[in-house]
Amino acid sequence: MSPQSRPGGRPGPASAAAGGAHLAAQWGLPLGVLLGALAAARLPGAGGALAAGAAALLAAFTVHRLRLRIRAASQERGSLSEQLVQSQKLAVLGELSSGIAHEINTPLAVIGQEAELLRADLETLEHGPAREALGRRLDSIEAQVRRCGDITHGMLQLVRKAAPVLQPVVLAQLCEDMALLAEREARRREVRIVRRYAPGLPETLTDPPQLKQVVLNLLVNAVQAVRPGGRVELAVGPGAPGWSEIQVRDDGPGIPEENLSRIFNPFFTTKPPGQGTGLGLSVCLGIVDRLGGTLGAANAPGGGAVFTVRLPEGANPPEPGPALAR
Amino acid sequence: MSEPIRVLVVDDDQSFRTNMTELLNRQEGISAACAESGDAALEVLAREAYDVVLLDMLMPGLSAHGTVREMRRRGLGAAVIVVTGHASVDDAVEMINLGAYDYLLKPCTIKEIVQKVTWAQEWRRLQPPQ
Repeated sequence: MSPQSRPGGRPGPASAAAGGAHLAAQWGLPLGVLLGALAAARLPGAGGALAAGAAALLAAFTVHRLRLRIRAASQERGSLSEQLVQSQKLAVLGELSSGIAHEINTPLAVIGQEAELLRADLETLEHGPAREALGRRLDSIEAQVRRCGDITHGMLQLVRKAAPVLQPVVLAQLCEDMALLAEREARRREVRIVRRYAPGLPETLTDPPQLKQVVLNLLVNAVQAVRPGGRVELAVGPGAPGWSEIQVRDDGPGIPEENLSRIFNPFFTTKPPGQGTGLGLSVCLGIVDRLGGTLGAANAPGGGAVFTVRLPEGANPPEPGPALAR
Repeated sequence: MSEPIRVLVVDDDQSFRTNMTELLNRQEGISAACAESGDAALEVLAREAYDVVLLDMLMPGLSAHGTVREMRRRGLGAAVIVVTGHASVDDAVEMINLGAYDYLLKPCTIKEIVQKVTWAQEWRRLQPPQ
Protein backbone atom coordinates (compact mmCIF):
# COMPACT_ATOMS: atom_id res chain seq x y z
CA MET A 1 0.00 0.00 0.00
CA SER A 2 1.33 3.39 -0.89
CA PRO A 3 2.21 5.62 2.03
CA GLN A 4 -0.04 8.58 2.56
CA SER A 5 0.29 11.63 4.68
CA ARG A 6 -2.00 13.75 6.71
CA PRO A 7 -4.08 16.18 4.68
CA GLY A 8 -3.53 19.82 5.31
CA GLY A 9 0.21 19.70 4.66
CA ARG A 10 1.45 22.02 1.98
CA PRO A 11 2.75 19.98 -0.91
CA GLY A 12 5.46 21.56 -3.00
CA PRO A 13 5.39 21.12 -6.76
CA ALA A 14 6.19 17.56 -7.74
CA SER A 15 8.52 18.92 -10.39
CA ALA A 16 10.81 20.26 -7.65
CA ALA A 17 11.41 16.73 -6.38
CA ALA A 18 11.95 15.47 -9.89
CA GLY A 19 14.38 18.32 -10.44
CA GLY A 20 16.21 17.30 -7.25
CA ALA A 21 16.61 13.76 -8.53
CA HIS A 22 17.92 15.09 -11.80
CA LEU A 23 20.45 17.33 -10.03
CA ALA A 24 21.64 14.41 -7.91
CA ALA A 25 22.14 12.29 -11.01
CA GLN A 26 23.87 15.11 -12.85
CA TRP A 27 26.25 16.20 -10.11
CA GLY A 28 26.64 13.09 -7.93
CA LEU A 29 29.21 11.16 -9.96
CA PRO A 30 31.31 14.18 -11.00
CA LEU A 31 31.40 15.09 -7.31
CA GLY A 32 32.65 11.60 -6.48
CA VAL A 33 35.33 11.84 -9.17
CA LEU A 34 36.35 15.28 -7.92
CA LEU A 35 36.63 14.00 -4.34
CA GLY A 36 38.61 11.03 -5.60
CA ALA A 37 40.95 13.29 -7.62
CA LEU A 38 41.52 15.50 -4.59
CA ALA A 39 42.28 12.45 -2.49
CA ALA A 40 44.69 11.12 -5.16
CA ALA A 41 46.43 14.51 -5.33
CA ARG A 42 46.96 14.63 -1.58
CA LEU A 43 47.91 10.94 -1.31
CA PRO A 44 50.21 10.02 -4.16
CA GLY A 45 50.85 6.38 -5.11
CA ALA A 46 48.74 3.28 -4.42
CA GLY A 47 47.26 4.83 -1.27
CA GLY A 48 45.95 7.76 -3.31
CA ALA A 49 44.32 5.51 -5.96
CA LEU A 50 42.67 3.43 -3.21
CA ALA A 51 41.37 6.56 -1.50
CA ALA A 52 40.11 7.91 -4.83
CA GLY A 53 38.21 4.67 -5.51
CA ALA A 54 36.74 4.60 -2.01
CA ALA A 55 35.64 8.22 -2.30
CA ALA A 56 34.00 7.55 -5.67
CA LEU A 57 32.17 4.50 -4.25
CA LEU A 58 31.07 6.46 -1.20
CA ALA A 59 29.80 9.30 -3.39
CA ALA A 60 27.94 6.87 -5.68
CA PHE A 61 26.35 5.17 -2.66
CA THR A 62 25.36 8.55 -1.17
CA VAL A 63 23.87 9.64 -4.47
CA HIS A 64 21.90 6.39 -4.70
CA ARG A 65 20.49 6.89 -1.18
CA LEU A 66 19.70 10.50 -2.01
CA ARG A 67 17.84 9.53 -5.16
CA LEU A 68 15.77 6.95 -3.26
CA ARG A 69 14.82 9.53 -0.63
CA ILE A 70 13.94 12.10 -3.27
CA ARG A 71 11.79 9.55 -5.12
CA ALA A 72 9.96 8.68 -1.86
CA ALA A 73 9.45 12.39 -1.13
CA SER A 74 8.12 12.86 -4.64
CA GLN A 75 5.57 10.06 -4.15
CA GLU A 76 4.60 11.51 -0.78
CA ARG A 77 4.07 14.96 -2.32
CA GLY A 78 2.03 13.42 -5.12
CA SER A 79 -0.20 11.72 -2.57
CA LEU A 80 -0.61 14.93 -0.55
CA SER A 81 -1.41 16.85 -3.68
CA GLU A 82 -4.10 14.32 -4.65
CA GLN A 83 -5.66 14.57 -1.18
CA LEU A 84 -5.60 18.36 -1.30
CA VAL A 85 -7.30 18.40 -4.71
CA GLN A 86 -9.84 15.85 -3.41
CA SER A 87 -10.59 18.01 -0.34
CA GLN A 88 -11.01 21.13 -2.49
CA LYS A 89 -13.34 19.29 -4.88
CA LEU A 90 -15.38 18.04 -1.93
CA ALA A 91 -15.68 21.55 -0.50
CA VAL A 92 -16.92 23.01 -3.80
CA LEU A 93 -19.30 20.13 -4.45
CA GLY A 94 -20.49 20.30 -0.87
CA GLU A 95 -21.55 23.93 -1.26
CA LEU A 96 -23.22 23.13 -4.58
CA SER A 97 -24.98 20.11 -3.08
CA SER A 98 -26.26 22.22 -0.21
CA GLY A 99 -28.08 24.55 -2.58
CA ILE A 100 -29.42 21.71 -4.73
CA ALA A 101 -30.68 19.74 -1.72
CA HIS A 102 -32.45 22.80 -0.40
CA GLU A 103 -34.17 23.54 -3.70
CA ILE A 104 -35.15 19.94 -4.40
CA ASN A 105 -36.33 18.65 -1.02
CA THR A 106 -39.53 20.66 -0.72
CA PRO A 107 -40.87 19.91 -4.25
CA LEU A 108 -39.84 16.29 -3.68
CA ALA A 109 -41.84 16.27 -0.46
CA VAL A 110 -44.83 17.72 -2.33
CA ILE A 111 -44.64 14.95 -4.97
CA GLY A 112 -44.62 12.40 -2.14
CA GLN A 113 -47.61 14.09 -0.49
CA GLU A 114 -49.57 14.13 -3.76
CA ALA A 115 -48.90 10.41 -4.16
CA GLU A 116 -50.11 9.77 -0.61
CA LEU A 117 -53.26 11.81 -1.22
CA LEU A 118 -53.90 9.95 -4.47
CA ARG A 119 -53.46 6.65 -2.66
CA ALA A 120 -56.05 7.71 -0.11
CA ASP A 121 -58.43 8.62 -2.98
CA LEU A 122 -57.67 5.29 -4.64
CA GLU A 123 -58.91 3.46 -1.56
CA THR A 124 -62.38 4.87 -2.27
CA LEU A 125 -62.50 3.27 -5.74
CA GLU A 126 -63.85 -0.20 -6.40
CA HIS A 127 -61.39 -3.07 -6.59
CA GLY A 128 -60.41 -4.04 -10.11
CA PRO A 129 -57.53 -4.09 -12.61
CA ALA A 130 -57.58 -0.31 -13.04
CA ARG A 131 -57.22 0.29 -9.31
CA GLU A 132 -54.43 -2.32 -9.09
CA ALA A 133 -52.57 -0.69 -11.98
CA LEU A 134 -52.88 2.78 -10.46
CA GLY A 135 -51.69 1.40 -7.13
CA ARG A 136 -48.56 0.00 -8.78
CA ARG A 137 -47.84 3.34 -10.43
CA LEU A 138 -48.17 5.08 -7.07
CA ASP A 139 -45.79 2.49 -5.56
CA SER A 140 -43.31 3.43 -8.25
CA ILE A 141 -43.67 7.19 -7.63
CA GLU A 142 -43.20 6.70 -3.88
CA ALA A 143 -40.17 4.46 -4.41
CA GLN A 144 -38.54 7.07 -6.67
CA VAL A 145 -39.26 9.84 -4.16
CA ARG A 146 -37.55 7.74 -1.48
CA ARG A 147 -34.61 7.17 -3.82
CA CYS A 148 -34.25 10.90 -4.53
CA GLY A 149 -34.63 11.57 -0.80
CA ASP A 150 -31.76 9.17 -0.06
CA ILE A 151 -29.61 11.13 -2.50
CA THR A 152 -30.47 14.58 -1.13
CA HIS A 153 -30.05 13.38 2.46
CA GLY A 154 -26.64 11.97 1.47
CA MET A 155 -25.82 15.37 0.00
CA LEU A 156 -26.69 16.99 3.32
CA GLN A 157 -24.23 14.69 5.08
CA LEU A 158 -21.55 15.85 2.64
CA VAL A 159 -21.82 19.43 3.84
CA ARG A 160 -22.35 18.65 7.48
CA LYS A 161 -19.55 20.43 9.24
CA ALA A 162 -20.27 19.54 12.85
CA ALA A 163 -17.11 19.94 14.87
CA PRO A 164 -15.98 16.54 16.17
CA VAL A 165 -16.66 15.86 19.83
CA LEU A 166 -13.44 14.17 20.88
CA GLN A 167 -13.45 11.39 23.45
CA PRO A 168 -10.91 8.71 24.34
CA VAL A 169 -11.89 5.61 22.41
CA VAL A 170 -10.67 2.01 22.36
CA LEU A 171 -10.54 1.55 18.60
CA ALA A 172 -10.75 -2.24 18.76
CA GLN A 173 -13.98 -2.04 20.75
CA LEU A 174 -15.50 0.54 18.41
CA CYS A 175 -14.53 -1.60 15.39
CA GLU A 176 -15.89 -4.75 17.04
CA ASP A 177 -19.26 -3.05 17.62
CA MET A 178 -19.43 -2.17 13.92
CA ALA A 179 -18.22 -5.64 12.87
CA LEU A 180 -21.14 -7.14 14.83
CA LEU A 181 -23.54 -4.85 12.97
CA ALA A 182 -22.01 -5.61 9.56
CA GLU A 183 -22.10 -9.32 10.31
CA ARG A 184 -25.86 -9.36 9.77
CA GLU A 185 -25.31 -8.41 6.14
CA ALA A 186 -22.22 -10.64 5.94
CA ARG A 187 -24.05 -13.77 7.13
CA ARG A 188 -26.79 -13.20 4.61
CA ARG A 189 -24.13 -13.13 1.89
CA GLU A 190 -22.06 -16.00 3.41
CA VAL A 191 -19.11 -13.70 3.96
CA ARG A 192 -16.74 -14.09 6.92
CA ILE A 193 -15.42 -11.06 8.83
CA VAL A 194 -12.02 -11.85 10.32
CA ARG A 195 -10.72 -9.59 13.11
CA ARG A 196 -7.11 -8.69 13.82
CA TYR A 197 -6.87 -6.35 16.77
CA ALA A 198 -3.37 -5.51 18.03
CA PRO A 199 -3.24 -5.78 21.83
CA GLY A 200 -2.25 -2.90 24.09
CA LEU A 201 -3.11 -0.12 21.66
CA PRO A 202 -3.48 3.24 23.50
CA GLU A 203 -6.84 4.98 23.43
CA THR A 204 -7.46 7.33 20.52
CA LEU A 205 -8.97 10.78 20.98
CA THR A 206 -11.72 10.90 18.34
CA ASP A 207 -15.45 11.34 17.69
CA PRO A 208 -16.99 7.87 18.20
CA PRO A 209 -20.32 8.29 16.31
CA GLN A 210 -18.61 9.80 13.28
CA LEU A 211 -15.86 7.19 13.24
CA LYS A 212 -18.45 4.41 13.63
CA GLN A 213 -20.15 5.67 10.50
CA VAL A 214 -16.87 5.41 8.60
CA VAL A 215 -15.99 1.91 9.82
CA LEU A 216 -19.50 0.57 9.18
CA ASN A 217 -19.55 2.07 5.69
CA LEU A 218 -16.18 0.51 4.81
CA LEU A 219 -17.22 -2.87 6.23
CA VAL A 220 -20.55 -2.97 4.39
CA ASN A 221 -18.85 -1.92 1.15
CA ALA A 222 -16.28 -4.70 1.60
CA VAL A 223 -18.95 -7.31 2.39
CA GLN A 224 -20.86 -6.29 -0.72
CA ALA A 225 -17.71 -6.44 -2.85
CA VAL A 226 -16.85 -10.11 -2.23
CA ARG A 227 -18.50 -13.27 -3.51
CA PRO A 228 -20.37 -15.72 -1.26
CA GLY A 229 -17.78 -17.58 0.81
CA GLY A 230 -15.49 -14.54 0.65
CA ARG A 231 -13.51 -12.95 3.43
CA VAL A 232 -13.25 -9.45 4.87
CA GLU A 233 -10.45 -8.61 7.27
CA LEU A 234 -10.80 -5.86 9.85
CA ALA A 235 -7.50 -4.91 11.45
CA VAL A 236 -6.66 -2.36 14.12
CA GLY A 237 -3.06 -1.62 14.94
CA PRO A 238 -0.43 0.99 15.60
CA GLY A 239 0.73 3.24 12.79
CA ALA A 240 3.59 5.70 12.95
CA PRO A 241 4.36 6.97 16.47
CA GLY A 242 1.31 8.86 17.74
CA TRP A 243 -0.99 7.32 15.10
CA SER A 244 -3.36 4.37 14.91
CA GLU A 245 -4.67 2.55 11.89
CA ILE A 246 -7.84 0.73 10.95
CA GLN A 247 -7.71 -1.41 7.83
CA VAL A 248 -10.59 -3.06 6.01
CA ARG A 249 -9.42 -5.53 3.41
CA ASP A 250 -11.48 -7.81 1.21
CA ASP A 251 -10.70 -10.62 -1.19
CA GLY A 252 -13.04 -9.31 -3.88
CA PRO A 253 -12.07 -8.22 -7.38
CA GLY A 254 -10.31 -5.09 -6.14
CA ILE A 255 -10.68 -1.59 -7.57
CA PRO A 256 -9.94 -1.09 -11.28
CA GLU A 257 -6.90 1.17 -11.63
CA GLU A 258 -8.92 3.73 -13.59
CA ASN A 259 -11.38 4.03 -10.67
CA LEU A 260 -8.82 4.40 -7.88
CA SER A 261 -8.61 8.15 -8.32
CA ARG A 262 -12.40 8.53 -8.53
CA ILE A 263 -13.84 6.38 -5.78
CA PHE A 264 -13.94 9.27 -3.27
CA ASN A 265 -15.74 11.55 -5.73
CA PRO A 266 -19.33 12.29 -4.74
CA PHE A 267 -21.87 10.30 -6.76
CA PHE A 268 -19.24 7.90 -8.12
CA THR A 269 -20.55 4.36 -7.79
CA THR A 270 -20.10 1.04 -9.53
CA LYS A 271 -23.29 -0.35 -8.03
CA PRO A 272 -26.39 -0.77 -10.22
CA PRO A 273 -28.72 2.24 -10.45
CA GLY A 274 -30.81 2.67 -7.33
CA GLN A 275 -28.54 0.52 -5.16
CA GLY A 276 -26.08 3.15 -4.07
CA THR A 277 -25.93 6.92 -4.05
CA GLY A 278 -22.17 7.06 -4.52
CA LEU A 279 -21.88 9.35 -1.53
CA GLY A 280 -20.73 6.90 1.17
CA LEU A 281 -16.98 7.13 0.57
CA SER A 282 -17.11 10.92 0.04
CA VAL A 283 -18.86 11.28 3.38
CA CYS A 284 -16.28 8.95 4.99
CA LEU A 285 -13.41 10.99 3.54
CA GLY A 286 -14.96 14.22 4.85
CA ILE A 287 -15.37 12.72 8.33
CA VAL A 288 -11.84 11.31 8.53
CA ASP A 289 -10.49 14.63 7.26
CA ARG A 290 -12.31 16.46 10.07
CA LEU A 291 -10.96 13.95 12.57
CA GLY A 292 -7.45 14.94 11.49
CA GLY A 293 -6.71 11.63 9.81
CA THR A 294 -6.43 10.18 6.33
CA LEU A 295 -8.43 7.65 4.38
CA GLY A 296 -6.69 5.79 1.59
CA ALA A 297 -7.75 3.13 -0.89
CA ALA A 298 -5.51 0.67 -2.72
CA ASN A 299 -5.44 -2.78 -4.21
CA ALA A 300 -3.84 -5.39 -1.97
CA PRO A 301 -0.86 -7.23 -3.51
CA GLY A 302 -2.67 -10.58 -3.16
CA GLY A 303 -5.89 -9.25 -4.70
CA GLY A 304 -8.88 -7.40 -3.28
CA ALA A 305 -9.22 -3.86 -2.05
CA VAL A 306 -7.81 -2.36 1.12
CA PHE A 307 -9.02 0.82 2.81
CA THR A 308 -6.86 2.37 5.51
CA VAL A 309 -8.01 4.91 8.07
CA ARG A 310 -5.13 6.57 9.87
CA LEU A 311 -6.02 8.51 12.97
CA PRO A 312 -3.99 10.65 15.34
CA GLU A 313 -4.06 9.28 18.89
CA GLY A 314 -4.19 12.76 20.43
CA ALA A 315 -5.22 16.28 19.54
CA ASN A 316 -1.74 17.32 18.35
CA PRO A 317 -0.37 14.41 16.40
CA PRO A 318 3.12 14.18 14.95
CA GLU A 319 3.47 13.77 11.19
CA PRO A 320 2.53 10.22 10.25
CA GLY A 321 5.06 7.85 8.82
CA PRO A 322 4.41 5.17 6.23
CA ALA A 323 1.26 3.06 6.48
CA LEU A 324 1.18 0.01 8.72
CA ALA A 325 2.78 -2.88 6.91
CA ARG A 326 0.93 -6.22 6.96
CA MET B 1 -62.82 9.27 22.99
CA SER B 2 -59.73 11.35 23.72
CA GLU B 3 -59.18 14.84 22.32
CA PRO B 4 -57.45 14.96 18.93
CA ILE B 5 -53.86 16.16 18.77
CA ARG B 6 -53.96 19.72 17.43
CA VAL B 7 -51.21 20.35 14.90
CA LEU B 8 -50.22 23.64 13.26
CA VAL B 9 -48.32 23.33 9.99
CA VAL B 10 -46.08 26.35 9.33
CA ASP B 11 -44.48 26.47 5.89
CA ASP B 12 -44.13 29.18 3.25
CA ASP B 13 -44.59 26.63 0.43
CA GLN B 14 -48.33 26.62 -0.20
CA SER B 15 -48.47 23.15 -1.80
CA PHE B 16 -46.50 21.56 1.01
CA ARG B 17 -48.51 23.34 3.68
CA THR B 18 -51.99 22.54 2.30
CA ASN B 19 -51.10 18.94 1.40
CA MET B 20 -49.62 18.31 4.82
CA THR B 21 -52.66 19.78 6.54
CA GLU B 22 -55.00 17.64 4.42
CA LEU B 23 -52.96 14.48 5.02
CA LEU B 24 -52.90 15.11 8.78
CA ASN B 25 -56.63 15.78 8.88
CA ARG B 26 -57.20 12.39 7.24
CA GLN B 27 -55.40 10.72 10.16
CA GLU B 28 -57.47 9.50 13.05
CA GLY B 29 -56.94 11.50 16.23
CA ILE B 30 -55.29 14.51 14.57
CA SER B 31 -56.76 17.92 13.80
CA ALA B 32 -54.55 20.22 11.70
CA ALA B 33 -54.47 23.83 10.52
CA CYS B 34 -51.79 25.84 8.76
CA ALA B 35 -49.97 29.17 8.67
CA GLU B 36 -47.71 30.57 5.97
CA SER B 37 -45.02 32.20 8.13
CA GLY B 38 -43.57 32.45 11.61
CA ASP B 39 -45.41 35.72 12.25
CA ALA B 40 -48.73 34.23 11.10
CA ALA B 41 -48.08 31.18 13.29
CA LEU B 42 -47.59 33.36 16.37
CA GLU B 43 -50.90 35.11 15.65
CA VAL B 44 -52.71 31.77 15.35
CA LEU B 45 -51.05 30.45 18.49
CA ALA B 46 -52.12 33.57 20.40
CA ARG B 47 -55.77 32.79 19.55
CA GLU B 48 -55.85 28.99 19.80
CA ALA B 49 -53.93 26.34 21.68
CA TYR B 50 -52.01 23.76 19.66
CA ASP B 51 -50.17 20.67 20.85
CA VAL B 52 -47.61 20.37 18.09
CA VAL B 53 -46.16 22.85 15.59
CA LEU B 54 -44.56 21.53 12.40
CA LEU B 55 -42.17 24.35 11.57
CA ASP B 56 -40.29 24.92 8.33
CA MET B 57 -36.68 25.89 8.87
CA LEU B 58 -36.23 28.55 6.20
CA MET B 59 -39.06 31.04 5.74
CA PRO B 60 -39.30 34.69 4.76
CA GLY B 61 -39.98 37.03 7.67
CA LEU B 62 -39.55 35.67 11.17
CA SER B 63 -37.10 32.79 11.08
CA ALA B 64 -37.72 29.39 12.61
CA HIS B 65 -35.22 30.32 15.35
CA GLY B 66 -37.09 33.56 16.02
CA THR B 67 -40.46 31.79 16.04
CA VAL B 68 -39.32 29.23 18.62
CA ARG B 69 -37.70 31.90 20.77
CA GLU B 70 -40.87 34.00 20.69
CA MET B 71 -43.05 30.96 21.47
CA ARG B 72 -40.92 30.20 24.51
CA ARG B 73 -40.89 33.87 25.60
CA ARG B 74 -44.70 33.95 25.44
CA GLY B 75 -44.94 30.68 27.36
CA LEU B 76 -46.53 28.77 24.47
CA GLY B 77 -45.95 25.16 25.32
CA ALA B 78 -46.58 23.48 21.94
CA ALA B 79 -43.96 20.93 20.97
CA VAL B 80 -42.04 22.09 17.89
CA ILE B 81 -40.96 19.66 15.21
CA VAL B 82 -38.69 21.27 12.64
CA VAL B 83 -39.37 19.96 9.15
CA THR B 84 -36.51 21.10 6.98
CA GLY B 85 -35.51 20.78 3.37
CA HIS B 86 -32.55 23.00 4.07
CA ALA B 87 -29.04 21.67 3.85
CA SER B 88 -28.00 22.71 7.31
CA VAL B 89 -28.73 19.81 9.61
CA ASP B 90 -26.59 21.69 12.12
CA ASP B 91 -29.25 24.42 12.16
CA ALA B 92 -31.83 21.79 13.05
CA VAL B 93 -29.63 20.59 15.89
CA GLU B 94 -29.34 24.19 17.05
CA MET B 95 -33.16 24.38 16.99
CA ILE B 96 -33.30 21.39 19.33
CA ASN B 97 -30.93 23.22 21.64
CA LEU B 98 -33.33 26.18 21.53
CA GLY B 99 -36.15 23.94 22.73
CA ALA B 100 -37.57 22.27 19.61
CA TYR B 101 -38.68 18.69 20.27
CA ASP B 102 -37.35 17.03 17.11
CA TYR B 103 -36.64 17.53 13.44
CA LEU B 104 -37.40 15.76 10.18
CA LEU B 105 -35.79 16.07 6.79
CA LYS B 106 -37.96 16.61 3.73
CA PRO B 107 -39.06 14.55 1.91
CA CYS B 108 -40.71 12.51 4.64
CA THR B 109 -43.81 10.35 4.62
CA ILE B 110 -47.02 11.06 6.50
CA LYS B 111 -46.29 7.92 8.51
CA GLU B 112 -43.03 9.42 9.78
CA ILE B 113 -44.75 12.73 10.55
CA VAL B 114 -47.60 11.07 12.43
CA GLN B 115 -45.12 9.01 14.46
CA LYS B 116 -43.16 12.11 15.49
CA VAL B 117 -46.38 14.04 16.24
CA THR B 118 -47.60 11.19 18.46
CA TRP B 119 -44.28 10.99 20.30
CA ALA B 120 -44.22 14.77 20.70
CA GLN B 121 -47.67 14.67 22.26
CA GLU B 122 -46.60 11.89 24.64
CA TRP B 123 -43.56 13.97 25.58
CA ARG B 124 -45.77 17.01 26.26
CA ARG B 125 -47.98 14.98 28.55
CA LEU B 126 -44.94 13.96 30.57
CA GLN B 127 -43.79 17.57 31.03
CA PRO B 128 -44.60 19.25 34.37
CA PRO B 129 -47.33 21.90 34.00
CA GLN B 130 -45.97 25.42 33.37
